[in-house]
Amino acid sequence: MSTNYANAVELKNVTKRYNELVAVNNLNLTLSQGEIFGLLGPNGSGKSTTLKMLLGLVQPEEGSVHVLGIDAKKDPVAIKKLVGYAPEAPHLYEFLTGIEFLDFIGDIYGMHTEEKRSRINEYLKALQLEGREGDMISSYSEGMKQKVALISAFLHKPKLLILDEPLNALDPRTARIVKDFLQELKQQGVTTIMSTHILEIAQAVCDRIGIMYQGKLLALGNMEELRRMASMPSSGLEDIFLKLTGTGDIKAVVEELVK
Amino acid sequence: MNWKTIRDLIGVEMKAGRMLRGKRLIKYNTGRNRFFTYLEYGVAVAIGLAVGVLIGYFYNSAFPADIQSQFITVFANFQVSLPTLILVVTLVFTMMQQFQRSGTSFKNQAPYWLPVTWQEHTTASIFSDVLGIPLIAIAAIAPAIIAIAAFTGQLPLAIGASVAMCAAAFTAGATTEVFRILQVRFTGAVYKSSGKAAIWVRFASTLVFFVLFYIVYSYVIYGTGISNALQAVASVQSAAWFVPFVWVGVTLSYFASGMFIYGAVFLILSLLFILGLFYLCVSLNTRFGLYEPPAITVSSGVYAPKTGVLGKLGFAPVESALLRKDLKAFTRRRELISAFILPIVVIIIPIFSSFNTSTSSSSSAFPTQFGFAFTSLFPAAVMAMMLGNFMTGEEGQSIWRIYFSPISAKNYVKSKYAFMLFFAIIILPITSIVGFFIYHPALGTMFTLIAESVFVVFAVGALSLANGIKGADFNEVPRPRMIRAEWSIINLLTCGAAGLAVLAPLIPNVITDVTGIQFTFLALYQAVIISGVIAAVLTVIFYQVALSNAKELLTKAQV
Ligand SMILES: Nc1ncnc2c1ncn2[C@@H]1O[C@H](COP(=O)(O)OP(=O)(O)OP(=O)(O)O)[C@@H](O)[C@H]1O
Ligand SMILES: [Mg+2]
Repeated sequence: MSTNYANAVELKNVTKRYNELVAVNNLNLTLSQGEIFGLLGPNGSGKSTTLKMLLGLVQPEEGSVHVLGIDAKKDPVAIKKLVGYAPEAPHLYEFLTGIEFLDFIGDIYGMHTEEKRSRINEYLKALQLEGREGDMISSYSEGMKQKVALISAFLHKPKLLILDEPLNALDPRTARIVKDFLQELKQQGVTTIMSTHILEIAQAVCDRIGIMYQGKLLALGNMEELRRMASMPSSGLEDIFLKLTGTGDIKAVVEELVK
Repeated sequence: MNWKTIRDLIGVEMKAGRMLRGKRLIKYNTGRNRFFTYLEYGVAVAIGLAVGVLIGYFYNSAFPADIQSQFITVFANFQVSLPTLILVVTLVFTMMQQFQRSGTSFKNQAPYWLPVTWQEHTTASIFSDVLGIPLIAIAAIAPAIIAIAAFTGQLPLAIGASVAMCAAAFTAGATTEVFRILQVRFTGAVYKSSGKAAIWVRFASTLVFFVLFYIVYSYVIYGTGISNALQAVASVQSAAWFVPFVWVGVTLSYFASGMFIYGAVFLILSLLFILGLFYLCVSLNTRFGLYEPPAITVSSGVYAPKTGVLGKLGFAPVESALLRKDLKAFTRRRELISAFILPIVVIIIPIFSSFNTSTSSSSSAFPTQFGFAFTSLFPAAVMAMMLGNFMTGEEGQSIWRIYFSPISAKNYVKSKYAFMLFFAIIILPITSIVGFFIYHPALGTMFTLIAESVFVVFAVGALSLANGIKGADFNEVPRPRMIRAEWSIINLLTCGAAGLAVLAPLIPNVITDVTGIQFTFLALYQAVIISGVIAAVLTVIFYQVALSNAKELLTKAQV
């Protein structure tokens, strides 16, 4: 497929509806290579839907989606080959053992035996799954399952990582490793787009941040630009987020609950 | 016991069916829901009542006196046998339901963090076992017999029989509950044993379990071969007053024939038995009710990836990975293991019946050829039909893995088709050898039929795969269905038609053989060749359909 593309991700006027519900509304987004992009937004704002459209898992009604220069509508399999995706729920085959599952993933992405072996062992060691890799996944804890899902996204050295709430259920140590690892990959030119609810991480890791609300991109930019947009010069991301998504009236809500 | 809690628990159980029916309930509107959930029972009562009144009316107006008195005796006998009938029906039905559910039993486990006692949980569980067909049957039969009894003057008996039916259904539900808990308990024990052996123990024990069940079941339903034994069972049953399960029926029969003292004794015994069974359930649930997550260590030590025999056979790495994964799924997941049961039953039944009827064999060519055809051809064809049918739905929620992995429709269909072919064809030599030793067919017949089996497997397999992809159902709650009901029926019908189409050229030869009338206009080998050509054409067409269905599946990931 074409390797000479200007942008890693290009969404143009994308709209996705589920019946009457507009999940993503006229979205425009362009990511350049080697960027780490964070997608924030309240529950149900369309983050996961956007990420699924990048892989061609969900077809938009309007607009065009290009990933690594490939049209997501025309050749989703070509995109899937180049991309690493970690879904919201891990979706693992519970009857396989951790190692069998990763072996399966390696084969799916056409990795060579030796490469597969060394890579899997490295990741298992780094994410402290050693000693449990021979157990059936059905007996894993939530965090262990998430680790396996993440390893399967990283395993084949993708050029673009699409991570849907990647740090869900992870312990602090692993979260830190993943964070640093993403920075490391960025040096190698890997682009990352991830959705998250953990604002500190978005603030610390992401080059640019997009805030979604009811299917629309409310704000887009680096921390400085976001501060300016919310006209909150020295605030953290949490306050900006709450203000932009109109959920700043927390105090009133809490008072209502306490009553 | 808090009856409101029990009612709420049953309500949850009833609503679990929603996911399967694909209903989308947008508004929280309890009043309307309740009306619809009870509608089917209401309809059953209405139908029962109408039929009862109709029969009663005929009894009054159209029956002559002698038939009237005959009818009263027969009707009384029928009512007395009703509790046991209901018991058996409910038992069979709830047990089957349990087997189907066994794969996801941990998903239906008691919500132990809720303030619910084990008594309440057990009661709700027993009641919801009985919901559906058994209860609908009772809801129809009870008003019917009461209505008839109003005309024949047997009202006390009819009311007694109605109560007894409920008691019998409860007994059956409780029995199933006992088996369910024990099953969870034992498989749990196997789960916890570690090592590769655990998987094989599970595999083997599930096979044995299902085979025994199906053999008993098919003997009870069809009574093939061992009619003597069945008769023995029946006569034992009639004299089986000491078996607690028929006590309800025995009570009823004593009251019906006016032996009130015996009736009272058995009434008390029945009540004690039902109570005892219930407390057995509760205490088993208290001990074993909570599911412990399995922890099987399958392998340990150094990870050494395999270099793939499948690759040498011309499968892409993606395809062989899928094949290997499916093989593991079919040996490790209990509900999938059952796919291998039917062929085994088909092999075993003729073996059993051959012991009984060994004296009167091979009087004509007819039973030999049909027996052999059934034994050798049928399992492979059914295997192809079933596997193709649910090889896609079997993915369950993990279908997402397939969606977002770089798997093309071609990879997908090829690996699933290969898996299906492998298993459908691997049982062919086994069934043929068994068939050969039982029926001693002529060699020509045997090879013809084996060739035909292969043809049928190819064509039917491609068709069922296409259907399975189209009709796949990925819901795992409350149990994995794998294929939507309408598509399972479509699959059955179309596969039957395709199988017949492949076999059609041989029909004249069969007619000639059976009737002796010269009807053939093709030599056997010519018929086989034509049948092979038909199979090849059908295979190509259906494979293309499967491919386009798979393309659609992979781009519409909006389950
Ligand atoms: N398959 C579907 N059918 C119907 N509606 C859907 C479907 N998937 C998503 N939606 C709707 O689309 C909207 C956006 O959902 P999406 O999953 O993208 O939200 P999200 O931003 O990822 O939320 P969260 O933070 O909770 O993960 C929601 O209103 C959701 O109800
Ligand atoms: Mg989401």
